[in-house]
Amino acid sequence: MRIIPFPSEQPLPGEDAWIAELEAALSGEQQGPSADAWRELREDVRSLAPPMDPAFQARLERELLRREVVPSRQARPALARRALARRALADRLRTVARRLILRPRLTPSSLAGHLHTVVHRPLAHRRLAILAGALAAAVAFAAALVIATPRESRAPAQLSAPAGRVPRAPQAQASPSIAPTPRASKAGPAQAAASGAASPPSSTGAASAPGRVQQLAASMTLGTSASEVQAVSDEVAQLTVREGGYVQSSNVRVQQQGTSEGTLSLRLPSAKLSAALAAIGRLAPVRAENQSLEDITGAYEAAHRQLADALAVRSALLRALAAATTEGQIDSLRERLAQARSAISRAQASVNAVSQKASTAEVEVSVLGNTHGASTGLTLHTGLHDAGRVLLVTLIVLLIACAVLVPLALVIAAVLSGRSAWRRYQRERALGAP
Amino acid sequence: MQAFVSPAESSPPQGGPALDADAFEALFRQCASEVHGYLISLLRDRSAAEDITAQAFERLYRSRGRLDRRRGTPRAWLFAIARNAALDELRRRRRTSSYQADVGSPAQPPAGDAAGNEGFEQAERRMVVAAALASLPMRERELVLLKFHGQLTNAELAHTLGISESNVGTRLHRALTHLRAQCAPSEEDQVA
Repeated sequence: MRIIPFPSEQPLPGEDAWIAELEAALSGEQQGPSADAWRELREDVRSLAPPMDPAFQARLERELLRREVVPSRQARPALARRALARRALADRLRTVARRLILRPRLTPSSLAGHLHTVVHRPLAHRRLAILAGALAAAVAFAAALVIATPRESRAPAQLSAPAGRVPRAPQAQASPSIAPTPRASKAGPAQAAASGAASPPSSTGAASAPGRVQQLAASMTLGTSASEVQAVSDEVAQLTVREGGYVQSSNVRVQQQGTSEGTLSLRLPSAKLSAALAAIGRLAPVRAENQSLEDITGAYEAAHRQLADALAVRSALLRALAAATTEGQIDSLRERLAQARSAISRAQASVNAVSQKASTAEVEVSVLGNTHGASTGLTLHTGLHDAGRVLLVTLIVLLIACAVLVPLALVIAAVLSGRSAWRRYQRERALGAP
Repeated sequence: MQAFVSPAESSPPQGGPALDADAFEALFRQCASEVHGYLISLLRDRSAAEDITAQAFERLYRSRGRLDRRRGTPRAWLFAIARNAALDELRRRRRTSSYQADVGSPAQPPAGDAAGNEGFEQAERRMVVAAALASLPMRERELVLLKFHGQLTNAELAHTLGISESNVGTRLHRALTHLRAQCAPSEEDQVA
């Protein structure tokens, strides 16, 4: 056998130098016996493969070049298309066969389903991706709407926007209860008749403590334009009368330039306070609102005790008067009876005053004119405010969309990456297979 | 025997489209036989090699918009596509028979008395090279085939194989060292 010439009879040099030598030799940059030997080896290796069949080469050239390969699926080279179709069909049939083997309980319907899945897999994947994207977008949009809508409804009260809606305080404060004490309600018909209008209102609220008497108060500031201060103040007064209350005092100051203001001190039935405040709040945008509650049960009970004591003294004096026999006793008892009547009157007045406090709520309404937030027209401030709201909602939508889409994208990227890695692994396994 | 075309020569001019029709045609004329030779050496099946050759060019054309010059020349892309398709084919068939397969006979030695000795010597040498190549593990054999048929640089080989360039150098060094050892004349031959 002849000696096979091979690059470098000497032991191979270091790896880096060896690589450089090989690259230079194969690229033709290096000359000499060693480089020639490398090139000759390359030609030997290349010549081991039989040449391309001229018929195939001509057909491939005709398919790829003369018919103008275009990217559309319909215009693919027939040769490549046939090869692709044949291998794809073989793959799919193999998949079906594996499933048939692995699933002995296969029904005709499930078989049809498997076939459909295999045949339409690429299309199904595309549809699935589109569906997932649309679903994520819909979820993000819906979540944004859900979050944005309550904010919008609360915004006028919180941000003093001119929407004319009144923030309602909890029912516990809006309609406090005034309940008579058991002792007061057991005073008897005589005492009730004697007290007259002293019986407290019987309305009860959610936060009414049984047997407690409470006094309510509220204040509200309305914002409107300067020209509407008078009209709004009048409407407040009319509304107060309609609700069964009255205007205790009113002070309206309207100026052509500067701030116009109206202040009204109202007395409203406690039972109608909540509804009245809501109605007042609809007259103009509410700038501020405050409600307070004071427990006056002690004063109420003290007044009733004084009244009961005075009535008891009067009864005792009347009995003593009936039993009196001398002129001196009678004169003395009559004088004491007069004093008792005076005490009863004072106690009755006290009871009436406390009951009036309990049944009537004090409401202070301020109407401010020329406030920038009260304008209902389009101004720079309202425009900026609305723009801010739009930006805020947009930001929320984007945030929610990111919260939905980013994990979804990460999952898809992980799946695609894993699929790619698995395919690469499978290919490398094909090389390493025996 | 195909003429040697360096990867640099096969790359289209910079600044133009990644792979226009002219560049694709030039690449086809330069590389069709080499791709076919690489595939038939790897698959040992002429019909499969022809199918995958057609597939590789068709896929290259369809993916020409994604060609990135920084990641390799169109030639390197073409051989990467061909390699992946060939490995998919190998994976499908789940068989890698010995290198001696129905690939037909290599080039015949030239006829004639003047060239007879030289042709015979060349054929004999190629038989030895074929045997040495067949003795290589599949991965190293594939690397040698890709290097010699594809004429790719080590960087392009690294991108094609998904390994580092230094790893390519190491594996290539090992493969060619093994090839050299297999091709080295025995002591008996040297004596003869």
